[in-house]
Amino acid sequence: MRSALFAILVGLVGAALLHIVIILTLPQFTGRDAYSRVLGLYEMDSFFPLASEPGPTGLANDDPFLRVAVCGFSVDAGPARFVAKGAIPFWSLVIYDVNSNEIFSMNDHTAVNGNLDLVMATPIQLVDLRKTPSASLAQSIMVEMPEEEGYAVLRALAPTDSYEETVRNFLAESSCEPFRR
Amino acid sequence: MFRIPLLVALALTVAFGIGIVSSVSALKATVGFGAIALGPWVAFPEAQTENTDPYAKAHRARAGKLLYGGAEGLQFTAAIDSTGEKLSSGCTYDIAGVTPPARFWTLYATTANDQPMKTGPELPAATNAWTVLRKPDSSFVIHVSPVAQPDNWLATRRVGAFKLVLTLLDTPTAGSSGLIDLTMPKIVKTGCPDA
Repeated sequence: MRSALFAILVGLVGAALLHIVIILTLPQFTGRDAYSRVLGLYEMDSFFPLASEPGPTGLANDDPFLRVAVCGFSVDAGPARFVAKGAIPFWSLVIYDVNSNEIFSMNDHTAVNGNLDLVMATPIQLVDLRKTPSASLAQSIMVEMPEEEGYAVLRALAPTDSYEETVRNFLAESSCEPFRR
Repeated sequence: MFRIPLLVALALTVAFGIGIVSSVSALKATVGFGAIALGPWVAFPEAQTENTDPYAKAHRARAGKLLYGGAEGLQFTAAIDSTGEKLSSGCTYDIAGVTPPARFWTLYATTANDQPMKTGPELPAATNAWTVLRKPDSSFVIHVSPVAQPDNWLATRRVGAFKLVLTLLDTPTAGSSGLIDLTMPKIVKTGCPDA
């Protein structure tokens, strides 16, 4: 009897250890985290507008009034530039790293003239960009990218159905491209 | 003779059984620590950051949702009403009051598993800061009901338990240090048509 109790006690200690191991390692092997889903769209370097119904990757416009576009990008070969403009009531952008940690977020009120113009670059690329400033980047916001890969989420607000087309054009014309000078 | 293997098997069963069940149920029960609760409304302003706890990181990796960034907005969900009872889609609720300061807000209902409610396209399944009808003091009352209601109606389907999702866009709520009076609308049950 005592040995059975001892076995249960050992089991409970093992359960506690296993619980900790599962919680800590889960982000590495779920395979359905947001970044894997973005990669599953097979669309790098351009904003991919999501549909209202979840596609094969399970990503969709969750909020009925927000149209969402996602873009997986890499700053390995050069900085990535995000551009969007248009008169819509609200847009917001957030940059995540591969582990879905927020690196940077902004909305139309924190942007220059209400237009999105953002450059994500590694620290070395940023030094390079600042040493030889390019005229096309005069209005750009430059943000340091701690890792090489990540994804961007652009949300645009359509408060009523009449905004639908404007918002769709806003997302269709937005770009997420490697920056070349 | 089989005593020792039996004890080892017992210990292993307890370890794996309880270890796995407790992990899964912990991830189902909550998004993690660091919640701010305003009445029935709960939000996780830190859930998308590096500084969040391991439970929140495991939860977001498992759910695979596109979370809201700090400058984007803050998403509140409510699974209970103001008296602490579970929201049931067979009942009618009044959401009354005002939202904290925000440039815009949207409100919609989901099932208990965070899936879309799938009300028909002809029904008002969502409302927002522009389309809601307000009183002269800019407060509002939204009737959440599976049957048609006058004024602001948020249509639900009878799917058992459900959640309400209120998203505040461009809001200082997350970083609030108590300087702004945060009042969320109340959720009051007004009756259950069929029950």
